[in-house]
Amino acid sequence: MMTFLHILKVIAIVIAALFALTFTVYIFNLDMKLTAAIEPWLLKHYDKIDRDQHL
Amino acid sequence: MAKQVGADRLGDFYKEGSKVRKRREWRGLADTMYDYSRWLKIMMTLGKFVMKPRNVKAMFRYRWMANYLAVPMMVDRHTQGLRGEYLRICHEEQDLVIDDVAKLLDSLFRGDRRIGNDKKFSDKVVLVDENEMTAVMMGFPTLKCLSRETPSTYVSVLLNQYAACHYIDVAQEFGLAGDVCPMPEAEAGVSIDDDAPVLGACAIQCNTTCDGSLLGNGVISQRLEHEDGIPVFQLAAPLRHREDDVQEYAAQEIRNAIAFIEKHTGVKWDWDAYFECAKRVNYATECRQEWLEMNRTPYPQVFGSNLALYTETNYMAICGRVAAFEKADRKITKLARQAYAKKKMAAKEYRHRAIVWGVQSHYYMDFLVWLLNCWGIVPLTDMLSMVSTKKLVTEDTPENREQAIYDMAWLTENMIMRNRTHGGYKVLLDELWEFVEMFNADMVILWEHMSCKALDGMHGLFEEKAREKGINLVWVTHDLFDPRIISRQGVRDQINSYMRTVFNEEPIDPSLEVLPDDKSW
Repeated sequence: MMTFLHILKVIAIVIAALFALTFTVYIFNLDMKLTAAIEPWLLKHYDKIDRDQHL
Repeated sequence: MAKQVGADRLGDFYKEGSKVRKRREWRGLADTMYDYSRWLKIMMTLGKFVMKPRNVKAMFRYRWMANYLAVPMMVDRHTQGLRGEYLRICHEEQDLVIDDVAKLLDSLFRGDRRIGNDKKFSDKVVLVDENEMTAVMMGFPTLKCLSRETPSTYVSVLLNQYAACHYIDVAQEFGLAGDVCPMPEAEAGVSIDDDAPVLGACAIQCNTTCDGSLLGNGVISQRLEHEDGIPVFQLAAPLRHREDDVQEYAAQEIRNAIAFIEKHTGVKWDWDAYFECAKRVNYATECRQEWLEMNRTPYPQVFGSNLALYTETNYMAICGRVAAFEKADRKITKLARQAYAKKKMAAKEYRHRAIVWGVQSHYYMDFLVWLLNCWGIVPLTDMLSMVSTKKLVTEDTPENREQAIYDMAWLTENMIMRNRTHGGYKVLLDELWEFVEMFNADMVILWEHMSCKALDGMHGLFEEKAREKGINLVWVTHDLFDPRIISRQGVRDQINSYMRTVFNEEPIDPSLEVLPDDKSW
């Protein structure tokens, strides 16, 4: 019984931590701030790709 | 930070020079938790997408894929200030569209010769234009109807206002005219820039609406047919679509397109599948008519971008072929009925009832939400949502099979935009004033897409009629896919100056009047 309660407690803590983490990302728009920082690197990468440009 | 509609100063979320907003809205506990749960769902959709190595490979190959970094922000733009049923309606639609586009991208990369190179799958693919009615695919349930232009240009601009600029510049560097519509020009630019996935057994192109579209199709089909070896059929639907004498020709074009697909894929037309799709199209029409009926009352429910974006997707790109959209139609209608019964409003004050006409700016699709939140203008309906309401035949009989060909022809002729920009004076001009009366509107917001010659020629006629009828007509000039010509603030300024000088009004939310979103996605 004690083990079962312990497992439940661990699961509850993990869920609460995950919620706190994802909700912080959500409310402070951290996901978009991160992807906005990635975009310039990607654009530089695209400029380096060889392309068969023609009409 | 409040539960009440209109309690936030929405302009305070913007940050000068930033691509993204400072934070997301607190909408009260229930609505914030709902929005958060939908955000999680979107993150899971995106997570599932990037789990596949071929999709990551495509991310590093195609420039337009970088725009998909902004998916959650697109949803945030359209849910600005929304609460309760309006927020839920918006998510029902946007999340489904995101899921559908993720599947489209996954399929494109699976068959793409450069990425997944699944030849067997590619042989079941029929490519279609972005701006094309997919009615001819309703009877081919085992084939994949995919559009390369939808994710590369159309959706990209909804995600990032500058998404098409690179491709517009490429097209012009290669000598294409700069004064055509930037949408087909950008699509041609993707092809010239060697940035379109290569796949498919064959392709169906449509003579959409304009000189730019024909130009773009020419450039794209040249590469498809002569270099990639993918045969292309030109579905030339008549432009005078209200005339009886063109219908036989239109029906023959549908028969020819079906025969072309059968020939190149080896798959036969399936009437059972067609009539199943036709039932779904009819159901979508019934729902849309009910929403529009509500919008005629003082308590409109499904309007603005909730109506416009969803109708474009469901009517044209889906055309009854995806069962999930029928489920969404049902849910949206239920939510709208609930809100209508409670006489709910999406903003704290409705000052004006507007019909939005003309071709809307894609780099500022959330302008409709801005109209509501900033000035209390309710965009009751828009030109692109006023599409065919004709019921399709749904019973499989020999007579109905013949009628079904005419129904598909009718839908193709009446695809979004072309049903208004072509077809004569009545469909573009006369019916606008009929809708103004029908919806009891006191304003017309008239998008002037400066590269659209079909509409620009009518400028004086619109003004003359508005004066005669005593309707407040506001011109809003834009360049569809290119915010470098007229910025989002340039679009807003045209409304701001009209509201201040003609109506002598102050904004409901003054923080929205001037926004630092020039660098924003």
